[in-house]
Amino acid sequence: MTSVETAARSYRVLLERLPVRRIILVILSLVIAYGVIAGTVATLQTGRFTAEDWVDLFVAGVARGSVYAIIALGYTLVYGILFIINFAHGEVFMSGTFTAFFVAHALADQGLLNTYPVPALILLFVVSALVSMSIAVILERVAYRPLRGAPRLVPLITAIGASLFLQYTFRGFYGAQAKAYPNIDILQGNVPVAGFTIQRAQILVVAGAIILWLALYLVIERTRIGRAMRAVGEDREIAALMGIDVDRTIVSTFAIGGALAGAAGILFVQLFNSVFFFMGFFPGIKAFTAAVLGGIGSITGAALGGLVLGILEAVGPILFLTGIGVPSPNQLQPVVSFGILVLVLIFRPGGILGAPEEKRA
Amino acid sequence: MSHLLELEGVSKRFGGVQAVVDVDLYADSGEIVGVIGPNGAGKTTLFNVVTGFYAPDAGKMTFDGHNISGLKPNALTRLGMARTFQAVRLFNAMTVLENAMVGRHTRTRAGVWGALTRNRRTREEEAQITEEARKALSFFGNRLIGREDSLASDLAYADRRRLEIARAMVTGPKLLLLDEPAAGMNPAEKEELITQIGRLRDEYGYAIVLIEHDMPVIKGVCDRVAALDHGVKIAEGTYDEVASNTQVIEAYLGKAAAAQREGLA
Amino acid sequence: MRRLPRYVRVGLLGGFIIIYLTAVGMIAAFHERNIITGVVQFSVVLMTLVYMAAGYLAARAPKGGSPPLRPTRDALIAGAVGGVLVGVFVILMTVLADAGYTPRDMFIAITPATLDILSFDQGTYLSLPVQAVLGAVLGLAGGYLSTATPNVRSTVTRAISATLIGALGAPLFSVMMAGLGIPSRWLFRSEGLTIVGTVFVVGVTLLLRWYLLRAGGVRNALDRVPGVTRKNVNVVTWAVVGVVLAVLPWIVNTFVSDVLGTVGLYILLGLGLNIVVGYAGLLDLGYVAFYAVGAYSVAVLTARSSFLVGADVTNLAPDGFMNFWVAIPLTIVIAVIIGVLIGAPVLRLRGDYLAIVTLGFGEIIRTLVLSDWLKPYLGGPQGITEIPSVPVGPFNARDPRILYYLILGFVLVSYFVSTRLKYARIGRAWAAMREDEDVAEGMGISVIKYKILAFVMGAAVGCLGGAFFAAKLSVANPGSFTLLVSINVLAVVVLGGMGSIPGVVVGSLVLVGLPELLREFGEFRLHIYGIILVAIMVFKPEGLFPDARRARELRGEATVKEPVPALAGAAE
Repeated sequence: MTSVETAARSYRVLLERLPVRRIILVILSLVIAYGVIAGTVATLQTGRFTAEDWVDLFVAGVARGSVYAIIALGYTLVYGILFIINFAHGEVFMSGTFTAFFVAHALADQGLLNTYPVPALILLFVVSALVSMSIAVILERVAYRPLRGAPRLVPLITAIGASLFLQYTFRGFYGAQAKAYPNIDILQGNVPVAGFTIQRAQILVVAGAIILWLALYLVIERTRIGRAMRAVGEDREIAALMGIDVDRTIVSTFAIGGALAGAAGILFVQLFNSVFFFMGFFPGIKAFTAAVLGGIGSITGAALGGLVLGILEAVGPILFLTGIGVPSPNQLQPVVSFGILVLVLIFRPGGILGAPEEKRA
Repeated sequence: MSHLLELEGVSKRFGGVQAVVDVDLYADSGEIVGVIGPNGAGKTTLFNVVTGFYAPDAGKMTFDGHNISGLKPNALTRLGMARTFQAVRLFNAMTVLENAMVGRHTRTRAGVWGALTRNRRTREEEAQITEEARKALSFFGNRLIGREDSLASDLAYADRRRLEIARAMVTGPKLLLLDEPAAGMNPAEKEELITQIGRLRDEYGYAIVLIEHDMPVIKGVCDRVAALDHGVKIAEGTYDEVASNTQVIEAYLGKAAAAQREGLA
Repeated sequence: MRRLPRYVRVGLLGGFIIIYLTAVGMIAAFHERNIITGVVQFSVVLMTLVYMAAGYLAARAPKGGSPPLRPTRDALIAGAVGGVLVGVFVILMTVLADAGYTPRDMFIAITPATLDILSFDQGTYLSLPVQAVLGAVLGLAGGYLSTATPNVRSTVTRAISATLIGALGAPLFSVMMAGLGIPSRWLFRSEGLTIVGTVFVVGVTLLLRWYLLRAGGVRNALDRVPGVTRKNVNVVTWAVVGVVLAVLPWIVNTFVSDVLGTVGLYILLGLGLNIVVGYAGLLDLGYVAFYAVGAYSVAVLTARSSFLVGADVTNLAPDGFMNFWVAIPLTIVIAVIIGVLIGAPVLRLRGDYLAIVTLGFGEIIRTLVLSDWLKPYLGGPQGITEIPSVPVGPFNARDPRILYYLILGFVLVSYFVSTRLKYARIGRAWAAMREDEDVAEGMGISVIKYKILAFVMGAAVGCLGGAFFAAKLSVANPGSFTLLVSINVLAVVVLGGMGSIPGVVVGSLVLVGLPELLREFGEFRLHIYGIILVAIMVFKPEGLFPDARRARELRGEATVKEPVPALAGAAE
């Protein structure tokens, strides 16, 4: 070997060692950090927004994030056990909510929605959860079960197909127009909390989400089915050897995730008063983002991811972008939320709560 | 002159577990070094550190005169390091020949332009890749040759192990790291493998480091043996020296059994 | 609870399917569509097929079970059960409506008119016997098919399929016949087959089948002809394909040419994404991002209304600000830069994470072009209009036929590029990486480099597609760049068979060509699309036209393939 060749090789070896990726990442993060800080400072200096405004945005973000969190649980549960993205979960969410609309409408017609608001709400939750649960279970049976063991892209495509199928099924059933969800009087208006005013509906949403999350937590940690779910997620074959009915466990996972999505839908309409066949799409994607953000497979991660995403979505665009002269910054919400996702994944590939990966998965 | 591969004080930790602790090891061309140790002793982790799959936490590693810590596996392959995997890992949807051809990657250069134009250089290079691949396959007699167009997933288990070695040979290595090459083979196949590993050293002049649980294989081929336990190198020397080392026996059989054995002796 | 006998379950399922079709409005909508004009409508065909399928399945052995003892009886009962269910449903809905609970307040498609269709205008209460008898008869027919010899079975299914294809394709075929100067009034009327036409189609099918059976297959029939060898059969086949592709736009109308252009565009996009997903195994759900980048780049570079055209520039060339052919290389450079910028930081992520991140990028691009912020440059929701057409010598490329040839040309080039790459050192490196990333890296392949290469090549092709799209429509607006485009392209790739180049062509024809041609399915297009996606993935996960090797692997390994564990012994 000539000395020139050796030198050339050493040079290449040296190049190999250069942590190009890390350098790019550091530069990237510095640029973004600078942009965010500069934007924030500039926005605050304009003085266009009062403390009250920020609190309003923040609370709205928390409320919206709570809904994301509950939908995200469905993604996380299914991913934790089957390692597939149930892309049609947004439609599961839509199906229950859309169906419960007719119950709400009937109740409102009879005046029951306002005379007995609590039982009426409970009824809505139950109907929505049941419908979503049935759809989730059927979905598993028809679209996913025949595909266990297929390459991973295949269930994803099926999920996309199922998603379209469900959207257009409900469009066919109930029509293409958006329908206004009837209001419940006691949920209108604001209440003063610590010197700020907060909408009643937002309080209901956050409280409802906490209850649902706790219920799920207890189911996973304390019950037989929860243990079975964890076992199947850990190792399907060994779980089967230990006498766990894997099929039943998977169905239960879909059922629980579906029921939660249906319940989340009733919370959702308290914030965004309308339903239509495409309503599941964006919340679905956002919730999946939240699940990944928090660390998919972890139910605490889903909650955290949902809240972080909700708050950043509500506060972020205005806070970061107004100052640097971006008109109507709220239009850029998806840029902020997906931008956050990309950044989190670049630096913590396992999500906020996921373990930082050692070299490779 | 320094050794072809030289490790000094290499350590690797996973969370709270010290998988490899302060290991020194070297290997030279034309020599076979065995690495033994009970399950969980850190042998494969050591391989993964040496071949660049994990970055070491501490220690110095040189290969062929280059400092190699922090280099990626593909760079190491280019420098002349090749390995096989404990659980056979072939490219299952590719044919036997293609699996071997992939090994030639770092020694060839055709890029997009070559692929599109199929100019003379590319064609010659393809021909040369195929030839190298066939040569490596024919190292195993007629076990792989004649089945070049079968899918790798259709091969019998022992042939899958052989194909892994052939694929590593195609990379044109100076050092070959074999992770339990005899696992799952029957006695006759092991015999054959022992001869073949010997030939790899003698005919090709490779330095070979191999992890093996099967003591007859270690005894049959290794010039030198190192024993690991709990990530620590507890012994090094000829097979007989290491096999009679008390610490090694303890590691394999447990303290009580070792004492008992000593008492009997 | 004891399980109902299988034939009852199958029958109930059939009944539910018909009720479902009614509730989503398909029965009513497809009642407008003639199959045999004036005699059979598509809605009736749907019911017929469901009942026959019920009977067919009831008379078959279940998966892993033994065949039924009395298949004929089971088939009959299955059909009848389905019919009874449908009848009961119709009566129930009528009763509800009479009691003041109008079903259509909730299910908008359940109207009295629809219920009349289900009872064949015999009055709602007669729907029960009518449907039950219909179900029983058709179930019996289905059962007969399933017990008949394979020969009879395939003859009947072919006759039915030929009729359906003839009738559903009637608008297309009559246009093509008109283009060739053949009268078609005797064959087609009101978008369906005439009775004569039906007899003709069935007759031709049966004759052809009879002849081929006697000759022992197409190959043998051809071999019998003197002077024909396998080789020149191939040559002739390709020559015929070439000639058909060349003259196709002239025998169909401009609408169909336009559809062909769209199919070609999707083949182009599919070939690009196939490099990313099929070759390199990277799950990209945001391919639309590059499509949009291509369209907007060409728009900004060539349109008169582009912000690059200052107010002071008055003397513009007639074909716009910059010639399309000059803009194209620039566009590709832009695509490559964006591809590297997006790819470099995220391509290390695991499959599913990569999917969501790329999806995010697609949405980010769409949001950006839609925003007020970039409106001065990209036109906001209206997008950029007045994009000049592609200048092709003296021709006007606004003519779908010229565009068809242009796109065909680029498809052929991409086809060639894809094939060459696949069977080269690069293709092997991608395949190795897709199969096992760690080992590929251990064999000396710089995984990140090859991932970026695949991603960027996909980006360049996607961009090219976008450029043609913009020039074709003369507008680039955000509405054309939704997630649905990414999904469509991905579906084209996976449906055809990942990594398979002819698969992309087949996938585009099935998923883009068919729905475009079957316009009358209108609002049900995406509905049926969803069903097709699920059905194909469930019954043929390797795709319609799979890469031979992958199909072999998929069939060979029926066992569950878990995600590859981390390097064996990592925890040692």
